[in-house]
Amino acid sequence: MFRLQGSKVLAVEMTGDSVRAKNGSMVAYDGEMAFKKLSGGGEGLRGMVTRRLTGEQMTLMEVKGRGTCWFADRASEINLVALRGDRLHVEASNLLAADAGLRTGTTFTGLRGASQGNGLFTTTVEGHGQAALLSDGPAVVLRVSPQYPLSVDPGAYVAHQGDLRQSLQSGVTFRTFLGEGGGEAFQMRFEGDGLVYVQPSERNTVAGDV
Amino acid sequence: MTVQVLDPATLPADDNVNPYTFCVELKGSQWFLQKGKMIAYYGRIEFNGIGHGALERLVRTSFHSPLHAGDWVVAQGSGKMLLADRAFDVNSFDLEDGNLTIRAGNLLAYQPSLALKQSIVPGFLTLIGTGKFVAASNGPVVFMEPPLRVDPQALVGWADCPSPCHHYDHGYVRGVIGGLRTLTGIGGTSGEEHQFEFVGAGTVLLQSSEALMPEQATGAVPHEPGVPGGGSGHASGGHGPLGPGMPRMPGQLGDLQRRFGL
Repeated sequence: MFRLQGSKVLAVEMTGDSVRAKNGSMVAYDGEMAFKKLSGGGEGLRGMVTRRLTGEQMTLMEVKGRGTCWFADRASEINLVALRGDRLHVEASNLLAADAGLRTGTTFTGLRGASQGNGLFTTTVEGHGQAALLSDGPAVVLRVSPQYPLSVDPGAYVAHQGDLRQSLQSGVTFRTFLGEGGGEAFQMRFEGDGLVYVQPSERNTVAGDV
Repeated sequence: MTVQVLDPATLPADDNVNPYTFCVELKGSQWFLQKGKMIAYYGRIEFNGIGHGALERLVRTSFHSPLHAGDWVVAQGSGKMLLADRAFDVNSFDLEDGNLTIRAGNLLAYQPSLALKQSIVPGFLTLIGTGKFVAASNGPVVFMEPPLRVDPQALVGWADCPSPCHHYDHGYVRGVIGGLRTLTGIGGTSGEEHQFEFVGAGTVLLQSSEALMPEQATGAVPHEPGVPGGGSGHASGGHGPLGPGMPRMPGQLGDLQRRFGL
C-alpha cells in the first residue's frame, strides 16, 4: 500500500509482500525488512542484457517484510500512479518504486530520446498496482484526448500512461542555424487517449540550446 | 490523495496551476517568453525568435532590449501553454499604467501590451505599461515599502520607486584597518556590509531566500564605457561581437537573414 507522507517521502505498508524500489532510496523502516539488490532490475538475464545494451540502466532493490518502509530520493517530489492493466512509460531515473506485481521492461522510444539526451529507450511498467515517480517540483498531470493533442518539452517530460502515440515535432528551420531559433526546437507530441506527467523544470537537453 | 488530472477545459486561464507552474491562454494573441520556459501546450502555438521578420512591428513597440534579444521568443497562436522555471515559485503580476523593474533572470513572460526596456541598473529589466507578466522567485515573493535597505541577493525587483543606490556599512569601510579587512577578509565580515538602499514611494519585491537564481547570460553586461561592472563574464548570447555603440538587434541591417530578404 503506497502512501505519501508530505510530498517528498513515500511510505509503503507491507504485510509480507514485496516492492521494488530504487537502490538505496530507503530512508527509514519499522518492523522486519529484508533488502535485496536486484541485478538488472529483476528482469532476468535477458532484461539485464537489454538494459545494459540500451543504457536505460536501473538499479533496483527488492524490499520484503512486515511493517512500514519509507523511501525518498534527493528531496524530489513524489507522484503516485495507479495502474489498472495499462502501461506506464517512464525514464528509468524517474522511477522510485513499484509494486512487485508490476512488470518492468525496456522499449524503444524513437528519436525523442536522442533529443532529450537520455537515450533512445525508456522503461515501461505494466500490470495492476501502484508506482511512484520522481519529479523536480510537483508534476502536473495533463490529459490527452483525441480532440486535444498535447505538445511537451522533452526536458520537462516525466512519464506517460495509456494509449498514446508519441512523435517528435521539430521546429528547426533555417533560422535555428542563424541563431534565431524559437528556443523550443523539439517537442514531443502526444496523440490518443491517456495521461502525461510533466515537471515544472527542464533538464538540460540538446534541444534546450537550439 | 487524489491526483488532479488537467485538460484544456480545466486548466486555468492566465493563472497558476500550482505554485511552480503557470498557465497562459492564447486566443490568437501573443506573449513574450524567455527561451525554454515552456513545458507543455495544448492547441496550435508557434514559437519564433525575436528576430523573426514578421514580428518586427511587435518587437518595435514592446521589446527594447537588444542585449536580451537572443533569450526571448514570441509565442503566438491559440491554446493553453504551461510555463515553469527550474521548479522555482512562479507568480503573475498585473501592472496598470505603471513601471516595474525586475532582475533579468527572474522574468519569465509578459504580455506585449507591456514594453520591456533595459534598466539603468545592470542585470535588471524594466516593464512599462499595462498588462500581465510572470516572474519566478526562489521562495515566495515578499512586498516591502521604502525607505528600506535590502540584501542584494534577496532583491527581485521594485515598482514605482526611484532606482536604488549602494549602501556600505560605514564602520566597515572606514580607516586603514577597514580597508585591510575589505581587501583580505581578515578580521571577519558579517556578510551584510553592502546593501541596496531604496528611498521614496513605491514597492520593493524580495524573494524569501538569499540564493540568487543562477544568473543566465541574459544579465551579462557588455564592455562599454559608462556601464558599471562591464566586461565581467561573457557578453550577450551569441550575437556576434558587440561593436562599439549599440549592440545589434537581430534583424537589424547587417544580419544574414536581412541580406537574404527574409
